[in-house]
Amino acid sequence: MSLYNRIIKKPWPYWVGGILLGIFNVILLTTTGQSWTITTGFLYFGAHILNIFGLQPSDWYYFRQNTWLLPGETFIRNYYTVLNLAVILGSLIAVLWASEFKWKKIKNKKQLFFGFLGGILMGYGTRLSFGCNIGAYFSAIPSFSLHGWVTAVFMLVGAWIGCKVLLKYIL
Amino acid sequence: MAEVRIDCMYETCPIPLLKALKQLEKMNIGDILILETDHSCAVTNIIEWAKKQQYNVDYTELNEGEWEIYIEKVK
Amino acid sequence: MSSSKIEELKKRRQKENKAKSSQIPYAAIFTVVAIVIYGVFLKINLKYSTFWIIGLLIGFTIQRSRFCFTASFRDPILVGNTSVLKAIIIAFIIMTIGFALVQYIFVGDSEIFDIYNIPGQIHPVGIHTAIGAIIFGIGMVISGGCASGTLMRIGEGFILQIVVLVGFIVGTLLGARQYEFWDKLFISKSPTVYIPQYIGLPIAMIGQIVILILLYFFVDWYDRKNNLMMM
Repeated sequence: MSLYNRIIKKPWPYWVGGILLGIFNVILLTTTGQSWTITTGFLYFGAHILNIFGLQPSDWYYFRQNTWLLPGETFIRNYYTVLNLAVILGSLIAVLWASEFKWKKIKNKKQLFFGFLGGILMGYGTRLSFGCNIGAYFSAIPSFSLHGWVTAVFMLVGAWIGCKVLLKYIL
Repeated sequence: MAEVRIDCMYETCPIPLLKALKQLEKMNIGDILILETDHSCAVTNIIEWAKKQQYNVDYTELNEGEWEIYIEKVK
Repeated sequence: MSSSKIEELKKRRQKENKAKSSQIPYAAIFTVVAIVIYGVFLKINLKYSTFWIIGLLIGFTIQRSRFCFTASFRDPILVGNTSVLKAIIIAFIIMTIGFALVQYIFVGDSEIFDIYNIPGQIHPVGIHTAIGAIIFGIGMVISGGCASGTLMRIGEGFILQIVVLVGFIVGTLLGARQYEFWDKLFISKSPTVYIPQYIGLPIAMIGQIVILILLYFFVDWYDRKNNLMMM
């Protein structure tokens, strides 16, 4: 019971998470040649939906300029989708083993508005900085690419502005 | 000794922490703040912060994914 | 650090509440599903099986350790806590060594680096990076979660985070649609800076580790010095 408590019930210290995530990312790079990324997968998912509605996102300048897909992959069938679904399922499994799962409603319209707005801002930002907090930061700094460090500094600036907005309008 | 209860259900970080911080400022020494939350990260987040302020702090899980955090203002 | 007053209160509240129901049967079902999918991937696509199992482990770890990248940026500013940031710096030190080894195997002893094919995330750096990062930073604080946090919290059952995800998808589509504008303005004129190109891989690795260690001590000092809200 105490082992269950320690591994499943009590939160792990942050540093344990840091060490494990670092190791997993290195394993991912060693075995697949790809480091951990997330948001490009969101873009491909969106592009897939536009495809269903008959729009042709593959004609966009962005997709003609950049191909982040592996050979033979499509907007929906790609490694980003596999990774993202696995992260969600992994988290769900962790919560269920701890018996802590609960559907959490949206509290009010303000929360809904700022959540949606924040999502759009983050999504737009990732196209400019070539990734999110994972692709352009967590995986970029160890890749020795200067854009990882620049992202880190300016994400801190953004977070500072975000805190101002939060204290003024959300709290 | 008073017990003050604040409801932070469905709130995301860092709102629970900021609410606790504001409430504690208004309270007297010896009072206990009871904070209800269903945000797993907020539990770790608030306890860490409270420990740093050297407040007495503990928490318990009341339902699946619902916690109560107890903070005693000691100074 | 608990006191007798809190202990008493805790016991009373636990008594007042009914016994919790167990979700372990569901946990077992989903674990089996995850393993079955892993087995299928092993048969049809070996590479995907690796992405799948590592993704599961990442999701599990983020949830268990409450690992929040947003907090690592936000809490130092808001309340002066840097423990998540310190954990990320530890991860960076591990990954710097690991990535350097993988890249060294790829590059070998050659003097000329093929920077577009080196494993890892290597992209142009310039004004667009700064603008994108600032926009992203604002977004993650006001929505209460970054990319990895959003995925993790969907797994935890947050409906809000599904809304954030929809916003995320809309945002990436908008960004991709207007990419031509930014590309012509900044990105195409910006260099891709792979640090080992200038100082070699061994020095880049050692230098980066030294910087990260110094950063760790600075951040640790900052944590002890800052106690209250800064704004």
